Amino acid sequence: MNAVDGSQHYEQSSSEQNPSLLTIILDTNPVAWSLLSGTLSLSKAVASLLVFINAHLACNYTNKVAVVASHCHTAQWLYPTSAQQHLRNVRQAKRRLDDSGPIVNDQLSEPTKRVRINGPKDDSTNGIKLKFNIVQRKPIASSDKYRPFRVVEEELLDNLSKLLSTTGPTGISSNTSTMVAGALTLALSYINRQNSAFAESSGGATNTADSAPPNASSRAAETNDKNLLHSRILIISVSPSHDLAHQYIPIMNSIFACQRLSIPIDICQIPTPNAPSSSTVFLQQASDATKGVYIPLSNATSGGLLQYLMMAFLPTQSSRIHLVLPTRIDVDFRAACFCHRRVVDIGFVCSICLSIFCNPPENGDCLTCGTHLELGDYGGRPMVVPRQKKRKKPRSTLDQSRVSTPTPGPA
Amino acid sequence: MADSDVQSWEYLERLQGTEFYRLYKNPTSALAIFRKRLSSLAKSLVMALLYLNAPLPVKDLDVWVKPGSRSEKEHALDLLQRYHITAVSSSKAYTLTENFSRSLRQALTGGGDTKSFGEIAHPPSNPSITVEDLDGFARNQWEGILGYMVGNSAIPLESTSTVVDPSPGVIELLKAGHLIELAGSSRLGYSPKITKDGFAFVLQDINTQVWSLLFLYVDHAEDFAMTKVAVLSFLFLISSLELGQAYTKSHLDADQLRILSDLSDFGIIYQSSSDSLDFYPTRLATTLTSDSNTSSSNNTNLSSALTTSSTSQAHGFIIIETNYRIYAYTSSPLQTSLLGLFTNLRSRHPNLITAKMTKSSVQRAVQMGITAEQIISYLTSHAHPQMRRHAIQAASAASDPAKAAQAASVIPATVLDQIHLWQIEKDRMTTTPGYLMKQFGTQAEYERYWQFADQIGVLVWRSDRKRMFFVNQIDSLRRFMKSSRESGAEG
Repeated sequence: MNAVDGSQHYEQSSSEQNPSLLTIILDTNPVAWSLLSGTLSLSKAVASLLVFINAHLACNYTNKVAVVASHCHTAQWLYPTSAQQHLRNVRQAKRRLDDSGPIVNDQLSEPTKRVRINGPKDDSTNGIKLKFNIVQRKPIASSDKYRPFRVVEEELLDNLSKLLSTTGPTGISSNTSTMVAGALTLALSYINRQNSAFAESSGGATNTADSAPPNASSRAAETNDKNLLHSRILIISVSPSHDLAHQYIPIMNSIFACQRLSIPIDICQIPTPNAPSSSTVFLQQASDATKGVYIPLSNATSGGLLQYLMMAFLPTQSSRIHLVLPTRIDVDFRAACFCHRRVVDIGFVCSICLSIFCNPPENGDCLTCGTHLELGDYGGRPMVVPRQKKRKKPRSTLDQSRVSTPTPGPA
Repeated sequence: MADSDVQSWEYLERLQGTEFYRLYKNPTSALAIFRKRLSSLAKSLVMALLYLNAPLPVKDLDVWVKPGSRSEKEHALDLLQRYHITAVSSSKAYTLTENFSRSLRQALTGGGDTKSFGEIAHPPSNPSITVEDLDGFARNQWEGILGYMVGNSAIPLESTSTVVDPSPGVIELLKAGHLIELAGSSRLGYSPKITKDGFAFVLQDINTQVWSLLFLYVDHAEDFAMTKVAVLSFLFLISSLELGQAYTKSHLDADQLRILSDLSDFGIIYQSSSDSLDFYPTRLATTLTSDSNTSSSNNTNLSSALTTSSTSQAHGFIIIETNYRIYAYTSSPLQTSLLGLFTNLRSRHPNLITAKMTKSSVQRAVQMGITAEQIISYLTSHAHPQMRRHAIQAASAASDPAKAAQAASVIPATVLDQIHLWQIEKDRMTTTPGYLMKQFGTQAEYERYWQFADQIGVLVWRSDRKRMFFVNQIDSLRRFMKSSRESGAEG
């Protein structure tokens, strides 16, 4: 009986695996994909992506997935279908019912054509059939697929073909970039909603994360780790980087939000041919700041893409603890200026609001906060103030002064 | 553990390699085992290997896994080996076994026409069946089984008339699994008497219960001239179906139809009659391969749909105070009698039961074969949402992490400890089946092996002086010893 020690407590350990939410941002910029069409077509990439999504869903019964398309002029949900899109679909379906038969077929075949612009003959990769027209006509497809997988696939392909069919030449010509910032924001808001829904269903830890003071929140996060929904974001990026500069501020804001919520942002960078320096500056920073995975694909083929996805991007947070992750060591930390959206190495920073400018603003007024900045006689790089030398010169020679002020170094 | 006699997932590990070989021919089986049995690291390994052209060399894996996570790695590899998912080739590289990888790939990509994920009947023969109907059916059947086990023997209750008596087949199965014993004669009718294993069984969460019974069923499949593998793969198929859909029986063979009618007795599937053309999986079936995590939303749906016959509480209903008083918001006779197993019931109200846990009540339960762990897991999984909220708040308010982790348990720490202490008073001896390793040649050899056993978490006891140690699992250790002997011979 003496062996029973009161200070030793029995703890309940659980080896349960947390559900995790994977939000994928797929860059569907038509310009970039048309550049890529020689090596990796969009349909092949989507097929690989679908296998990856299925693998994620297979890992845990409660795993969830969401896919956002970051298109050239808009960011849109591919899965799950948003309420607005759903309403529109219902309306369109009603209209179709009123129309006669042949027109329906025309409408259906159009998205198919558009999607196959990039790859005319590769409608099947790894067994996934990208038959858009069949998907739309026959909601109950073959039974040789686990049903949750099929639901995601059908909805995703359906929405993707709709998105591509509604993209006209005007949309592409006006903007050759992709709306990553908007997509990130959509993803973040969705994650937030799922998180609160999950907390409610699992016994109501709804407000503790918000109400706790900042220094305690990290600890609470550790202890409540078991009860939390693990979320992460994967960006599959094809667009070249310099186009993203005009979204610098919203992208960075989203990155910091992810950092605070400890949501890793994984980046899969598919290089476009004919654009040698295609590594995206801000996306590198995103994965670095949020401890995500950053992989630039060396060669863009569908098999390679799938293997990269399965090996590097699939592990959940709980298994990432045990794995050596591929990250980038030489992260490009450059910023974009607030005035012209140029990526700059060295810039000017407003001392009040920390806005970055490539050139000193006119009249010394900060463009963001309006503070008048004393620029002084701006002449170039900062220099050692000459007065200090003058003071020291009378006492000693230049050589002695150098000796007397030891420089910190390997002693 | 005391419940080692009750069938659990370890049952699967006792299957032969060839049986796994046949089992993995089905995509559903591969998917179910992958999802249900592997650790998250093992899952990552499988997925990384799945589309890899060449085998993954052992050295590469060592580089990929962080050095500090060796025990997790060994655990994952051990799991994969036990379920015959990976194979180590002669050139020291990992590959997935052929059938498993083919099936898992097929599950992920679809394709083929093996009808491996069931065939939906359209139009269903009886379209009026709703999810609520299915839930009600499953609940009645399952509570009928549990009520049959507990109700008559432990505490007599004026049970409501809704209780369904289980079918003879189920009773036979319960008896074969030593969950109940039948007393009485054929003339007077048999009355069930619950055994120690039975008590362990009824206190488990519902997912574990269903699987325990199903593994019992699989174990006795050969009595009905069915192979274990056939039954298992059909069970995994059932688990991959979707709730609320009717599935056609047209492509099922005679064995599978027979299993269906038995599963219908459990409440796992619903069919209007045994010769109807289609069947519906209930929530018991569709959550078979989900986690047994009580806090996950799906499982709360399951338990809320299945345990609350009349109460409005969605997740849990039990409140425990630090003075060992228990308030349970339930009117279910089953839950009442379960609580009565380890508490002294004080009073009953239309929707509330008050009880008190005492030394004598807990020790009575321990005497019957219920362990402290089982009581605690029962209380935790049925705890009132208020208790969970309180625990989380306490955790975030605690000053240091160690205290916070302690406060995070739903049940008050004093109660938690006391239940354990009461149990220890009764049985002070624990038994661990395992293997004693002794007679090592050198001290270095001894140390290398016990350290490995410690890392993978199988070491139970060791004595440096006698140079022997005790492990509860030997397979991975044996492999390690063999490989290190080989490398020693080479070098």
